[in-house]
Amino acid sequence: MNNQRWKKLLDAILVPVLAVLSGLVVMGILILTLNKPVLESYAILFSNGFGCKEYGNCIFLTTLERATPLILTGLSAVVAFRSGMFSIGQEGQYLLGAAAAAWLGYAIHLPPILHAPVLLIAGMLVGAAYGWFPGVLRVKLGVNELLSTIMLNSIAALIVEYLVQFPMRADTSAVAHSPVIDESAQLMSFFPGSKWGVGFVLAVIAVIVVYIYLWRTKSGYEQRMAGQSRRFALFGGILSDRAAIRAMLISGALAGLAGAIEVMGVHRRIMTGFSVGLGFDGLTTAILGQVHPFGVFIVAILFSGLKLGAQIGLQLNLNIPRELGGTIIGFIILFVAAGKLYEENIVRAREWATRRRSSRLKRESG
Amino acid sequence: MTPAIEMKGITKDFASTRVRANDHVDFSVEPGEVHALVGENGAGKTTLMSILYGLIKPDSGEIFIDSQKIRIDHPNDAIQHGIGMVHQHFKLVPSFTVAQNILLGMEPTQAGLLNQQQENELVAALAEKYNLPVDPTARVRDLPVGMQQRVEILKVLERKAKILILDEPTAVLTPQEVNELVTVIRGLSRLGYTVIFITHKLVEVMSVADRVSVMRGGKMIGTKKVSETSIPELARMMVGREVLLRVKKKEMQRGDVVLEARDISISDVNGLAAISHVSFQVHRGEIVGIAGVSGNGQTELVEAISGMNSLDGGEILFKGKIIDEASVGERRDMGMAHIPEDRMVVGLNLQTTLDENLIVSRYDDSQFSRYGFLLMKTISEFAEKVVRAFSIAAARPGEGIATLSGGNLQKVVVGRELSGDPAFIIANQPTRGLDVGSIEFVHKTLVEERDKGAGILLVSVELDEVMALSDRILVLYRGRIQGELDAATATEEEVGILMAGGNLQDLKYAQRADQQELRS
Repeated sequence: MNNQRWKKLLDAILVPVLAVLSGLVVMGILILTLNKPVLESYAILFSNGFGCKEYGNCIFLTTLERATPLILTGLSAVVAFRSGMFSIGQEGQYLLGAAAAAWLGYAIHLPPILHAPVLLIAGMLVGAAYGWFPGVLRVKLGVNELLSTIMLNSIAALIVEYLVQFPMRADTSAVAHSPVIDESAQLMSFFPGSKWGVGFVLAVIAVIVVYIYLWRTKSGYEQRMAGQSRRFALFGGILSDRAAIRAMLISGALAGLAGAIEVMGVHRRIMTGFSVGLGFDGLTTAILGQVHPFGVFIVAILFSGLKLGAQIGLQLNLNIPRELGGTIIGFIILFVAAGKLYEENIVRAREWATRRRSSRLKRESG
Repeated sequence: MTPAIEMKGITKDFASTRVRANDHVDFSVEPGEVHALVGENGAGKTTLMSILYGLIKPDSGEIFIDSQKIRIDHPNDAIQHGIGMVHQHFKLVPSFTVAQNILLGMEPTQAGLLNQQQENELVAALAEKYNLPVDPTARVRDLPVGMQQRVEILKVLERKAKILILDEPTAVLTPQEVNELVTVIRGLSRLGYTVIFITHKLVEVMSVADRVSVMRGGKMIGTKKVSETSIPELARMMVGREVLLRVKKKEMQRGDVVLEARDISISDVNGLAAISHVSFQVHRGEIVGIAGVSGNGQTELVEAISGMNSLDGGEILFKGKIIDEASVGERRDMGMAHIPEDRMVVGLNLQTTLDENLIVSRYDDSQFSRYGFLLMKTISEFAEKVVRAFSIAAARPGEGIATLSGGNLQKVVVGRELSGDPAFIIANQPTRGLDVGSIEFVHKTLVEERDKGAGILLVSVELDEVMALSDRILVLYRGRIQGELDAATATEEEVGILMAGGNLQDLKYAQRADQQELRS
């Protein structure tokens, strides 16, 4: 039984691990064509993505900080996908959640014990509302949630751009941004000079809560069954429509929370070009993480590290263009998408191994 | 006579499932005969035929065709040697025409251009030659299943096959289509073709085959001439023990009305009337059989009673209460159970574990969840209990069910639906696609529930099943009840004529006419 469970876990992580390794091999080839030292570049990639030079001043802490919104948008996608809703609206929900938190951060003034929680909740509510909308469209009118969420992403981006340019604009500087939020609304960081802090802890809590919700609660069970087979859910007496809308609410809330945390913990304000595709990266994170909360957690950190290492480390130390980081991640996604290739070869390798073992046993006994 | 095909000592292990699917199997087929290959689900029939067709490589063993030892590594090799296979799930392109499908990959071309006209003529000539009429220009997606199968057979014949392997060809057909197929197979055999016919329905074996080979647990149990064997003997060989082909029933203890349909009408997915103005009652302790050719409103009736679909008119009473507005869940809570006709998509969720499949109708019970959280321990204990009570051999709590055989999957459905003492059970095609052993199990279980006092509505297109299990038979024809019969006195002719839309008067006249003819 226990053995079985280990095997299952191994199967789940084997494909992503092999995909990452393949991506790194391709990176080596690319670097070779640039006439740069390959081995050294690997070392720099890892020390700049996951390394730690001295206590309290770790690049790895920056990686964790960068991973925080990715974890949450990834979880948002996991909840939607597991419930049969192919929502890619994380980007829009993230942006609106961030705008709500940024506005309440300077517009109202509350004691610290209240201010931060109010902002977090506001971000979640706004995100949830923005997720509820495509959910209802889907259930009541049969509008494909994939299309509606794409459109809503564009709408949200334009709304936030307008807000930042006009009503929320703090000054006439070249880059439009909102006023800095009150200190009472900011999320604490653990080390001076780093922005890794309470937001990350919230993300970790979210990972655990989402896992428990999906696999240990009645509501989560309903959502997963409705997501896997609507006919089966109908037959068993599960109200699929309600489960779908609930999934969109939770998914939206998680993405909105990501936006709020990014404002409160990192930027302390919202500015033009606030999202650098974090919503879409969350989507990728969810898929690479096998649509599982723990998978999302690991992949988000890995991703952020690779990005930092490739973008900053390789560029500063070896003069390798930062786009290479994006290229490697692109390759990794490609290799995961080609996961079947690995699965077939894993099965073949296993069959070969058992055949060898059995023929050896035969020889020994014979 | 040298055998057309001889397979010797075929062995195949599947490493991934640790199953020996074929264990030193010897199998030989005479030229020009119809040879049935029977066995329970998972006996190794399909594996053996896939080896012959080059889809699977055996670990050891030899294959001879006309006494020549040959290697078959790929279906192309098999086709080269005149072996063709019609799969259970057809491999046709739905949007192509019949002619395009039959000639796929071997179209006649002129200067690299296709000639639709010529293709159609070729296929029409082919159909004529084998007396298998089809419309070459029809699109495959518009054809009924029986016709699609005919296209598959023509496709194989066009590729010059002399030996045809048909993998469970009747599983997807209606009774009429089965009769047509039997005629087709007989005709091919007269033309000198050799047909291997995989099935687990023994009635079909008796009606179509010359010889029959029985497999069980990956081993070849024996080969018999059909004229020298019987259904009970074959059933015994298949299952390995004595099988009750007809369940024994105690005297009915009829109780109160548990379910009543009052003048109900239901429309199908296209909005057309599927059931119009139907009324009937089901009492506790009785099995009411709904007989009828498939597609006469059975699916819609079952979905409306179970709550999966709504009524257009009339009302349904369950335990004396009108339940027209009640949801599926509410009906289930009141004690309704439902064994659906499609266990793969409706009755089970193959993507999840046994445990989660077993609680779908009762996860809301205080027994299985508290404060919104699932009680994992009780659930897995319950799963273990069901596995034991219904002896679902291969299923293990906490693990997936996708790899279970059809019989075991149906046991999971039956186990879930019948634990918790339902007051009323809808059993829709409860034995479709099951082997003899599993059919016996399902029938026995249903009769036990009846004896415990449940009312059962049995919907089946298998006349034998309705006749064997029911206490009362309703015949459904074009959405209406064509007649009601007492199962104790009903004859197959009576049910048959009602199923075809006639009435009992016609039968009496016909019989009287027969008798007069005899006298004169």
